[in-house]
Order: sequence, then C-alpha cells, then structure tokens
Amino acid sequence: MAQFLEQIINGLVLGGIYALIAVGYTMVYGIIQLINFAHGEIFMFGAYIALMLITVFGIPFWVALPLSMILCGMLGMLMDLVAYRPLRNAPRLSALITAIGMSLALQNLARMIWSARPRQFPSEVLPTIFLSQNAVSLPGGATLPYRDVFIILLALVLMVALNRLIYLTKIGKAMRACAQNPVAANLMGIRTNRVIAITFIIGSALGAVAGVMVGLREVVTPTMGYYKGVAAFAAAVLGGIGNITGAMLGGIIIGLAEVFGAGYISSGYRLAIAYIIMIAVIVIRPSGLFGRSTGHRA
Amino acid sequence: MRNWLVGLLIVGLVSICGCQPQDKSTSQTQRASRELKVAVAAPFTGNAAAFGEMIRRGAELRAKEINDAGGINGMKFTLVFEDDAGKDAEASLVAERIANNLQILAVVGHFNSSCSLAGKPIYQRAGIVELSPGSTNVTVCEGSDWTFRNLYRDDFQGKFIAQYIDKVLTGLQSVAVFFDNDDYGRGLRNAFVEEAEKIGLDLVASEAYDRDNTDFKAQLTSIKAKNPDAVFISGLYTEAGLIAKQAREAGITSQFFGADGVDSPDFLTIAGEAAEGTYLTTPFTFGAAGEDALQMAINFEDLHGVAPDTWAALTYDAVGMIADALEKTYNAEAAVADNRKAIRDHLASLDTPEEGYKGVTGLTYFDINGDTVNKPAYVKIVKDGQFVAADQQLLELD
Repeated sequence: MAQFLEQIINGLVLGGIYALIAVGYTMVYGIIQLINFAHGEIFMFGAYIALMLITVFGIPFWVALPLSMILCGMLGMLMDLVAYRPLRNAPRLSALITAIGMSLALQNLARMIWSARPRQFPSEVLPTIFLSQNAVSLPGGATLPYRDVFIILLALVLMVALNRLIYLTKIGKAMRACAQNPVAANLMGIRTNRVIAITFIIGSALGAVAGVMVGLREVVTPTMGYYKGVAAFAAAVLGGIGNITGAMLGGIIIGLAEVFGAGYISSGYRLAIAYIIMIAVIVIRPSGLFGRSTGHRA
Repeated sequence: MRNWLVGLLIVGLVSICGCQPQDKSTSQTQRASRELKVAVAAPFTGNAAAFGEMIRRGAELRAKEINDAGGINGMKFTLVFEDDAGKDAEASLVAERIANNLQILAVVGHFNSSCSLAGKPIYQRAGIVELSPGSTNVTVCEGSDWTFRNLYRDDFQGKFIAQYIDKVLTGLQSVAVFFDNDDYGRGLRNAFVEEAEKIGLDLVASEAYDRDNTDFKAQLTSIKAKNPDAVFISGLYTEAGLIAKQAREAGITSQFFGADGVDSPDFLTIAGEAAEGTYLTTPFTFGAAGEDALQMAINFEDLHGVAPDTWAALTYDAVGMIADALEKTYNAEAAVADNRKAIRDHLASLDTPEEGYKGVTGLTYFDINGDTVNKPAYVKIVKDGQFVAADQQLLELD
C-alpha cells in the first residue's frame, strides 16, 4: 500500500511536469496547426537560463524563476518571428521541417554554450525548502520532498490560471477566435500575429517552469528536452492535440502510466508502456480524449 | 552564358580530380617525413563525456612523450580525435569515417561497449585495429580478428562483484540490481546475476532504466519495497549519481555498489552526499600501481593540471601499445592495408606473459579473441567525498 501511494506521487510529479510542457505543444498546434518540435528545447533553455542566472549572476531563485520564464517567453516569440512567421502561408510540411531544424539548432547551441556535461542547481543557493532532506515523511519510510509538493501545486496553479486566462480574458477570447478561424478573426479586427506571438510566449514560459523543476529534481543537460519533450508530446496527442484541458490530463495520464508501467509491469519498457496507452486511446478515439471530431482541423 | 559557366566548372573539376593521382605519386617520395596517424574514438560529448575527456588527456600525454623523444622512427606521431558521443549510431558513422581515411593506421577506442560493438564489423571489413581502453562487454572482441582490449571483461567483473559482496561484505545477504538497458549494463547484470545465484546471494529485484531518462523514482520505489541490503548499479556515472541521490530521497538505506562505469569523479559531484560509502570496482587504481604509473601521474598533472583517472591510464597504455607496434612494423614503402595488418599481427603475437606489453596498468597480453584476461579488479570506496582504495581487496576468485 505504501508503495502504491509512493508510485502515485511519483506519477503525479512527473505528470505535472509533462502537463506543463504539453500545454506548450497543444496551444501552438491549436492556433497554427504546427507541431513545434523545438518546444522541448525551450524547456531545456528554461533550465539553463535559470541555472545561469543563479550561479553566474547570483540572482536569488525566486527572482530567477520568473526571469527565466520571461526570457524563455522572449525566446519562444523570437523563434516564431524568425522561423515560423515567414512560413505562415507555406505548406504545413515546410513549417514542420523548420521546427525539427530549430530543435536541432537549439540543442547544439546549448551544447556549444554549456557543454554536454550534466549540471545541477547547487544546493547552497537554493531556497531551503528545495533541499531534498526537507520532506514530508510518508508511511513506509519514504519521504516526499517539499520540492515535489511544490511542483505538483505549481503545476496545478498554473494550469488553473491558464484555463481562466483562456476563458475569461479578452486575449483568451482572441486566442480561441484565432484557433477557430484565423482569417475570420483577422477580419473581426484581431491582430492574429500578435495573438500567435502571445501564445508562443505563454507556452514557452510554462515550458521554462517545467525545465527549472526538472533541473531541481534531476539534472540539466542539452538533451534533456528530448525525452521529456517526446513524452509531453504524447500527452498532448493523448488529450486531443489543440485542447488545453486535454493536454493537462494527458500529461497526468502519461506520467502515471510511465510510473506504473515501470513499477508494476516492466522497467525496461517504461516509456513504451506509456505510448501503448496513448496508441490505445487514439485507436478508440482518433481525435484524443478531448479532441474535436468535427474534422474542421487536422 | 550560364551553360558556358557550368561547362567551365566541370572542366575545372575534372582537371583538379585528374591531378589527384599525380599528387599521390609525388608524396610517395616524401613519405619518410610523413606523420603517422592513429585515431582515438571516444565519447567526447554526451553522458559519458567525463570519460572521454580523460581518454583524450591520457592519449595526448602519451603522444607528447613519444614525439618529445623523437617520434616513431623519426616520424611524427599524430592523434586524430573522433567523437562517438557514447551512442552506437554515432559510433558507426565515426567508424566508417576512420576506416575510409587511408592516413589512419589504427584506432584506440571505443569506450562504451555498445560503441565498440557498433564499430567492430566496420573495422573488421576495412582491416584496421580497434583497441579499446574501456569496453568490458563480454562479446566486444568475439568474432573479429581486429578487435582488442587492454582490460578485463564483464563476466569477470560481474563475478568479482558478486563474490566480493559474498566474501568481504558478509553482512549483505539480499541484493537488487538496477541496470542500464544497453550492452554494457545488461551484460554486466547477467554476469553478476549468474554468479550471485550460484553462490547463493538472495537476488530480490532486477530493474532496468533507459539512459535518456533522468527520473528513476518509479523503479526505485519498486526496489525499496523489496528492502535489499545492497543495490548494485550496473551503468555509467551520470545515471548512477542521480540514482544514488534519488534512492536516498526515496528512503532506500541500502549499501550501493557500482562497477567501472561509475569510476569517474563526476559521480561524486552528481551524487553529492549520497555517494558516501559506495563501493565500486575498477580495472586499475593508482593506489595499487608501480613506480612508472606514479611517474605517469606526475607527468599527467604537469601537462593537464588535474590528476589522471583509470581511463587516462588505460588509454595511455593503449596508445603506447599501438605506437610500439608501429615502431616495430611500420614500413613506409608498403601499402596502407599492409601497414594496418602488420599492427594487428603484432598485437596478436602478444599472447603470452613473456611477450606482453608492460605498461603503467600492468602487463597486457591477449588471448585468442583479443581479450585481456590476466588483469585483476580493484575495489574503491567513496570516503569523505573521495575515491579511496577499499580496506579489503579480493585478488583471487573461486
């Protein structure tokens, strides 16, 4: 029983991280039908930027985290501006291939700047609640670090905030309008390019938070965006790509599936089990759990 | 106009290509002053980059010493570094590139077993020696006349670890294995499990991990439920460091044991306090080495400013063996293929302790496969954030 409880928590932490990344994939897809493969790299840059701000510039963690979000938001916007905006009316495949190229370019850029050696957030500069010895004791001798509680709560808060932003604010309405029909939205006076830029900023900022969280729990490397990025992409597809609530739930499902697959079925096929679940869902519901099946968008 | 330009371009290209053979014939007369090139293929980037860095430094030191002493028969000895990133797909590309470069006479590498295995058929086809200073998977040298290594195999290492736990760390009865799901991690686990079952250690869990992932909590939670006395981590230092850290977080209080893949100072920095008390095996340790090894350590520190590790020493010897073979066999008049073959024949002839190469890591000689079977394993332990030789070594296996 204790083991089961621990696995649930492991799955929720991982799922929270996946959800934060998956939202970035799904928002961009919802609005310009582009699978932004470079999103995993934004996530990785989020971790490195926060790490640099803290270790090189000596900025406290609580300032570095929002600053990293802002800088990654800018990076996401810049990426849209230079790589995707010129291809807005080009065949979809061109943009897709550009995204893959962008991903490779950013990954190698990170390798050039920071080398391939894994880095960690030095424990002496972190707020004390993030140190792994500060933890809630669970029945059965395991500990749940406050850091992991923080990750779950932060993911939850950000997800709710995003949901409110999309459904209650003017910019949210503009986003939904653009997702429905960009041409009509433009005719109604919505500046689509600006809305798209804001979408990139929000998605990238959330990705940056996930990057910092993974950096705190695990380790920062130039390739960290790949594994987590692929899993988060699977989460977005599982939830119905383009649907934000779906991406959040998809993240949690993939996280739990991965952990339970590894814990109870076979650890050698950890991510494979998560994918099998994704495929099974897609077979039954081709548009994903929450996807629209109107066929209006691919 | 444009057609005319293209035509000119083609004529130009053809004439340049046409000149190539002539260049070659003129260079033949200058061969005496040519440099002798040997490739060093290792993971200079990626998860095993800390190993690659030491491999590079060890090779550089040996090459510098050779050239300072006048080169090989008056010719300059040059190293060509090729990065396989510790990935088998990357290693295949590197192997093709090396095999097709007719200036390269032999290869020191690869490090990761999966990379050595990926390169093996390519080097065999091309007829060029692959001398690994780090691959321990049992099958690395099997089935190819061109592959050698100057350290022990994992069947020995796995057996050694099981016996060490059984005989020396007698308080440990139940063990769990957590292994990297690649050639090295799996091969070593198999050898360990086989011996553990034979001598009656209680194997309570065997979990795999994927090297791209850095979250091990799910598997660790399963391992914890079995409450093993010891956890044997069969993998490389980056993951092993994270595993040690996350295991302590998950409430696992077991003794950790690692193998030579964990033998890097980066394990200590990644695991931090969680590394304390970890035992690991290594094919070589300066603590148990002779005079020449200590001299090599001093020279190494003079050149690079850091202390050498196991892999620097093994690479230093591997480069030395190739240089030695070149000195004895290289014929400037012969074709490249013949020179490559002469190196292989020379290495294959080192098949008895008397013929063996005396290096800083001890005597190296090969069996029929190209394996080194005489070298012992040493045990280190992490004490106060440093690797030190364990109090009790195990020099003879049953």
